[in-house]
Amino acid sequence: MASQDEIETEIALLERRLQEAKARLKALKPSSSTTSSSSSSNSNSSIPSHPSPSAFSPASSHTHFLLLLSDSALPIGSFAFSSGLESFAAHNRSAASSFSSFLPLSLSSYASSTLPFVLAAHRRPQCLAELDDQLDAAVICTVGRRASVAQGRALLSIWERSFKPTNLPPSTSSTSSSSSSFHQAASNNSSSSSRSSISPDALVLSNFSALLRRESTKSSAGEPPLVSAHLGPLFGVIAAVVGLSLRQTAYVFMLSHVKALVSAAVRANMFGPYQAQKMLASEHVQALINAVVEREWHTSVEEAGQSVPVMDLWVGRHELLYSRIFNS
Amino acid sequence: MTSSPFPPSASLPGDGRIVVRLLPAGGSGLETISYQYPLKLISPSPTVAQKSALVFLLSYGGGLVGGDGVNLSVHMRRGSSLSLVTQGHTKIFKSATPDIITSQKMQVQVDEEAAVCLLPDPVQPFEDSVYEQTQIFTLRQRASLCLLDWVTQGRAARGEDWSFTRWTGRNEVWTQGSDLGQKGRLLIRDNVILSQDGSKPVGLPLKDTMHKMSVLGTLILTGPVMESIGDFFMAEFTALPRIGSRDFRSKEDQEKDAEEKPEFERWRARRIAMEKQHNILWSAAQVRGCVIVKFGAATVEAGRSWIGTMLRREGSIASHFGDSALMCVEP
Repeated sequence: MASQDEIETEIALLERRLQEAKARLKALKPSSSTTSSSSSSNSNSSIPSHPSPSAFSPASSHTHFLLLLSDSALPIGSFAFSSGLESFAAHNRSAASSFSSFLPLSLSSYASSTLPFVLAAHRRPQCLAELDDQLDAAVICTVGRRASVAQGRALLSIWERSFKPTNLPPSTSSTSSSSSSFHQAASNNSSSSSRSSISPDALVLSNFSALLRRESTKSSAGEPPLVSAHLGPLFGVIAAVVGLSLRQTAYVFMLSHVKALVSAAVRANMFGPYQAQKMLASEHVQALINAVVEREWHTSVEEAGQSVPVMDLWVGRHELLYSRIFNS
Repeated sequence: MTSSPFPPSASLPGDGRIVVRLLPAGGSGLETISYQYPLKLISPSPTVAQKSALVFLLSYGGGLVGGDGVNLSVHMRRGSSLSLVTQGHTKIFKSATPDIITSQKMQVQVDEEAAVCLLPDPVQPFEDSVYEQTQIFTLRQRASLCLLDWVTQGRAARGEDWSFTRWTGRNEVWTQGSDLGQKGRLLIRDNVILSQDGSKPVGLPLKDTMHKMSVLGTLILTGPVMESIGDFFMAEFTALPRIGSRDFRSKEDQEKDAEEKPEFERWRARRIAMEKQHNILWSAAQVRGCVIVKFGAATVEAGRSWIGTMLRREGSIASHFGDSALMCVEP
């Protein structure tokens, strides 16, 4: 259920992005009229369908980052995790156990438990730390936690070391990384002109990684750490910062899960690479992803949870396998 | 003064309130117990030997009719102990339309050093029922909680197999700051969402996503009183045989070795054999100061017998709360 300010924040965010896109377009083609600029700013998810004859119009930076984030070579280590597939196969050695019966269960489970956090983080990046803590309270399986945190931390490192310099002006990005704790203290009164160009969402990420560093050095005196860096919420915020739409973010997040599963299946010798591509390309997989995204679109993070309880058992019992090739 | 043997009722339908305190002579007693139809609370008169206050959560007719709402609030004062049990499955009758929701809400406040043990019978949702359960526990320093939440496939004898419209269960454990007004922190949020509509997008009827399980349960343990039982579940989980490993000893050698083992290991071997026979799958995890056990079994009775065996064998629940706390998990 979207509250009023949630919608208002989203509108503000979208309006700001429209402004930015218009400004960029204006800089690109100073002579073009406003009507054409508004129509092409909508199609930033694909290569513009009406290239102007005078010059090839380049793909937007949004599209560029969409491709980077959906790349299976994105170094977050997803190849190391099978999300319960390996354990499922070990528990169900009969003929009935096949990848095609596991895939919908895994998608449904992952979407119901994690996707609401991705969507919420994209809608309200400033709530990142709170969402991360709530997700940490909701992932009640050792193996699943390990997988989520390992990939989340890797994604945060990619942001810090690789994406941030491109997304922020160089002078400000170096200040924010060297004095992020200062920013946290002064994030409320951003009067200084050097900070005004940093997007507030990017600042959220800097503050988050500073908090994560502080928490990991703190001795654990019973209290769980304030932040753990789970994959879902970080993915939502980073996707928002680099300009992916909410829909794209949800789709890429779920597609990446399918790609990781299919790739694990190939390496576990369940089928070959052509079958894998055939499955990825299939309408079935597209329909599945769209259906679960639709299902969770309005799910609040308080209502997120396990829709396939037996998945918790398979993932949790991965530790009991005699031999394993994956970490989950 | 009324002559009714039952405690006086609260004002709103389905509302109930229990306050437990430490008695001056030691032991726990009920300061308040009140309820309103369709909820019914019964507490047998305490005996000297009783280790904790005991309250039965009942409903008129042994179940909740479509649209019924139960709203129970429990306050455990410092150092007190309470066990909450039921008498038979909580049946959830069908709703005439999917928007008629049957619900149970429980708010439990556990003060310093107090301990609550909730080991009820499983919830049994009938075909076409719509049920929402919310159980929120707020724990102060050194408070303890044992919570079992389990749900069955319905009336298997009538062919029901996860045939309800929707079942959602939410269990939250919060810590409470020592000062008033200090914001508490969410430690655990365990949500399970089972719904026919929800499984449609993945192209499977709900029962096919349950993988032939007849009962699914979650056990949440936290606090000093539960430390030993929590460690027990973690140790037993770690000691489970590796899946896919092989025993190369001959059958005679295996039997001979088994006889020489201490009693505890023979118990473990019998239990593991039972887990295999009844397709009992379980896992245990240590999360944010709590131990969480998830289990599923091919039959309700196997599930009951398994959780009962585990709790009984370790023994700390019975020794802290008394034998009656375990009555719903006796095989």
